[in-house]
Amino acid sequence: MQTQMPGSLPDYQIDPYRLAEDDLKDMFDDIRLELITNTTQEELQPISTYYLDGQGKAIRPILTILMARAINYHKGRNVLSHSQRQIAMISEMIHSSSLLHDDVIDQSDIRRGKPSVNVVWSQKKVAMAGDYILAVACRMLSRLQNDEVTITISQIVTDLVQGEFMQLGSKETENERFAHYLTKTYRKTASLIANCSKAVAILAEVDDHMIEMAFQYGRNVGLAFQLVDDLLDFVASSEALGKPTAADLKLGLATAPVLFACERYPELNAMIMRRFQEHGDVKRAFELVHKSNGLEQTRFLAKKHCAEANKIVQSFAKSPYQKALIIMADLVINRMK
Amino acid sequence: MSEAEKIVGYPTSFLSLRWLLSDEIANVALHLRKLVGSNHPLLKTAKSIIYNGRNTQVFGLIILLISKAAGHLNAKPVEEDKAAGVLHSQRALAEVTEMIRISNLIHRGLVNINTNEALSVESSELNNMTFGNKIALLCGDYLLSNSCAELASLRNQDLVFLISSAVKDLCQAEFVACRDNQNFPIPSIPPENRTGYALKEWTLLNVYGAGSLLGKSCEATLQLAGHSKEIQTEGYKFGKHLALAWQASLDLGLCINKDKEILHNLCAAPIMFHVEHDPSILTELDKGLESVENIDYLKVLEIVAAGPGIGLTKELIKEHSQKAMEVLNVFKESDARKALSNIIVAIGDF
Repeated sequence: MQTQMPGSLPDYQIDPYRLAEDDLKDMFDDIRLELITNTTQEELQPISTYYLDGQGKAIRPILTILMARAINYHKGRNVLSHSQRQIAMISEMIHSSSLLHDDVIDQSDIRRGKPSVNVVWSQKKVAMAGDYILAVACRMLSRLQNDEVTITISQIVTDLVQGEFMQLGSKETENERFAHYLTKTYRKTASLIANCSKAVAILAEVDDHMIEMAFQYGRNVGLAFQLVDDLLDFVASSEALGKPTAADLKLGLATAPVLFACERYPELNAMIMRRFQEHGDVKRAFELVHKSNGLEQTRFLAKKHCAEANKIVQSFAKSPYQKALIIMADLVINRMK
Repeated sequence: MSEAEKIVGYPTSFLSLRWLLSDEIANVALHLRKLVGSNHPLLKTAKSIIYNGRNTQVFGLIILLISKAAGHLNAKPVEEDKAAGVLHSQRALAEVTEMIRISNLIHRGLVNINTNEALSVESSELNNMTFGNKIALLCGDYLLSNSCAELASLRNQDLVFLISSAVKDLCQAEFVACRDNQNFPIPSIPPENRTGYALKEWTLLNVYGAGSLLGKSCEATLQLAGHSKEIQTEGYKFGKHLALAWQASLDLGLCINKDKEILHNLCAAPIMFHVEHDPSILTELDKGLESVENIDYLKVLEIVAAGPGIGLTKELIKEHSQKAMEVLNVFKESDARKALSNIIVAIGDF
């Protein structure tokens, strides 16, 4: 599990979470305050703040903060600007809004170790609360008064929905399946991280090349993050995840481990086509994935994306934040939940 | 209405064609077919959007008309749509407004699935409902996200602020008043001093539910045309009052025609006025706290008809129509202004 640090970095260990801690400290309070003060309707407050209790991994705001600080440092400023901090908040709000809508769709019972929001409130109200969070986030965005940033962040929202549509069903052939899966993964997960990185870079007023670097770092880490997520669905205990295992199979979704396993066990193809609906499909697919080297291949692909992300960050000026971005990429690979 | 459409160039139902032609929607059409035969209200919503396009796109039409009535100051030549006298950005805004309205309509059409009841419901029906909800949620999200992107591409942050505030208000509308299991509104219990209760509640519900979107869109379109802050504020007032006048007249229509649809709109103005006049009607209305279907709506409407609600609602329509009309006088005489005033007159004509 030990990953070799590339380059000649100082020996002292940097903890990205500690490094982002100060910036992150009041962030969830501030998001909740935004959502609470923006409505006169009391019931909307607990629903819209349900997943913003600060108990999540907060991976999106952390990456956004670290990227912002690394780029600012690159330009010789050791600060986090107000607008960059707003982007970090918006990243978590968009994510939270999509979680609410996911829960309406998936009808899951638990998330993050507590009852899913749709268990506590009706679907219609949860759907509205999701729209509400997005609207409040867009208002915050407009106050930054930066056209490019607004365009960049809106891209996330359209990507999320298109990714969801891709997941709904597809007519692609076996050859196209993996490309389809990667595009879907980009849209559903990586786009948010990539475009938030891009937005904070735009706000730092760096050149286009640097903005592209920020975007590519986010894209690669985002893809790796989801690949590992899909992997953990097969190996982690449901206790560690805070949700049931093999959840994707049960939802009829074929993720990277299954798609890789297909190469050795073609019988999986039929199961993928019928979305694991027949009795015993989920169990059988689960076993075949473990028998194949689909899990190793998935991890390998995730590592490749992390290596790519790290290569990009090497070109940034050396700073604790730059190093933290590298460590974050490794943490994404080695996380257990 | 079709006279009005000629003034702005082409039928407003054209507005929706662009999103109807996308891959995602083509996909949805396939899935919708699976729902045919089930009771999911998404089908009803879809039908009303597609077949009733003319009536449902009034918001877009009004925005284009007020854009034309107000004219525009120092527009860049490329921006101008010479034929219709409306800027491209204003047309885009009208489209965004319609997408937002329809998205909200679709999300409101989700079905609340009660997990306790679910056990007793046939599983195929339950699957249909779950699947219908999924499609409805995604369709609404699709429209909302596209409107977000289209709005961003106009590169005007004041506009983004206005329109996202309107989206926020639409969401808040679903939390006003009491609600039954399916989130249909029921008048809430008035406070001890009932004076002003009906007007306050009704206005809150409908400013959130319609007035804010039309008002802020009208405000935004005047901003795009380069008008002063004062004129923009007039635009907001116009849209808000027009939407309220229209809603009040829809409310009135449901009550007078004894339409069963009233069950989905029990906070209609005539009923609200009656609750303020005599709260004993709540005994009947509260039978719907579980499901509005349990209410004898004919009985409710009979009580309302005998009270002051109908008369007060007519007053309400007149008041809002007049306020909208006053704003129109700010603009100089034109076809578009005439069309708008015709719409206002038509609303007050019952």
